[in-house]
Amino acid sequence: MNEEKEVEEQSKPLVLEKLETHHSDALLAQDEARGTIVVVVRKDQAYAVLEYLKTDPELAYTYLVDVTAVDNSQMESELMQFDYARFMVVYQLYSYQGQGRVRVKVPVHENDLSITSVTGLWQGANWLERETYDMFGINFDGHPDLRRILMPDDFEGHPLRKDYPLRGRGERERFNFDKQNV
Amino acid sequence: MGLDFVGQGAGQTDGNIITTTIDKVVNWGRKNSLWPMPFGTACCAIEMMATLASKFDLSRFGSEAIRFSPRQSDLLIVSGRISIKMMPVLKRIYDQMPDPKWVISMGACASCGGVFDTYTLIQGVDQFIPVDVYIPGCPPRPEDLIDAVLQVQQKITSGASPKGVEVIYE
Ligand code: SF4
Repeated sequence: MNEEKEVEEQSKPLVLEKLETHHSDALLAQDEARGTIVVVVRKDQAYAVLEYLKTDPELAYTYLVDVTAVDNSQMESELMQFDYARFMVVYQLYSYQGQGRVRVKVPVHENDLSITSVTGLWQGANWLERETYDMFGINFDGHPDLRRILMPDDFEGHPLRKDYPLRGRGERERFNFDKQNV
Repeated sequence: MGLDFVGQGAGQTDGNIITTTIDKVVNWGRKNSLWPMPFGTACCAIEMMATLASKFDLSRFGSEAIRFSPRQSDLLIVSGRISIKMMPVLKRIYDQMPDPKWVISMGACASCGGVFDTYTLIQGVDQFIPVDVYIPGCPPRPEDLIDAVLQVQQKITSGASPKGVEVIYE
């Protein structure tokens, strides 16, 4: 059992091998978290990397499981590691070709919150990116319909940001029926 | 003929004529056929479904005719969390119900926000619609919901107006 494990650990996952050959300049870091391969990718090349992961016949990460983001503003260690980029946009992919899962993380700076939408690669990204926009305020360039999806249309702010107060900024008290189009 | 359920004013003459008041007869009818409009948005709704199903069987108390159209119902059961986005929908549904109408606020979330003291959750639907009976619990047991329906029935028998009346005729 132990020997088998060692052998597994020694052989590099195909996805990392391939990314190192074809997109080495895009890779900022690689890691493993609970059995999932994690790669951190530069923002300007994120779309190219995701497209490669999806279209390469051997990798074929055809299933986009999730798109979300993390606000690292209170995680000093993470901030320092990636040039003080406040947000990390996270793509979770799955391959039915036996490559399993891979997580692609893209650091996004607060002063430029735009990132290329992947709706062209996976249609399912549509609502996922809307949610990420709604909750974190990340702007997905090229998204066909970037509106809020969970919060009411007239809501101000992005509630999953760490500086957003848990009890809100008086939305519950200022609640107004007239503004809503029911 | 045990017709004294019609109320204290009821009397009998020669076993064939019953005297009572219109209000009492109407209230007796209302009380025994409350048609609930379920507004289930979270886990409490599961308990509401259990209450309506065969084991607890709300139809024993005449309230099994669940309507998913507010225009056909007179009892609104709010069971679950209501967000600031959902509240206008709930208000609209309440407004669409014909008078007289009663409201049960089922569970901690509907009554006071429960454990969800967050930016998006209404801290008690009674801030926006009049509630007749509150049910504590997270979730309340089906017996609690049955008890609430019985309390609404008592309220109707007693001739008290629904909580919403003050608001409607303001
Ligand atoms: S009161 Fe408890 S059971 Fe009911 S909706 Fe809230 S969390 Fe769910």
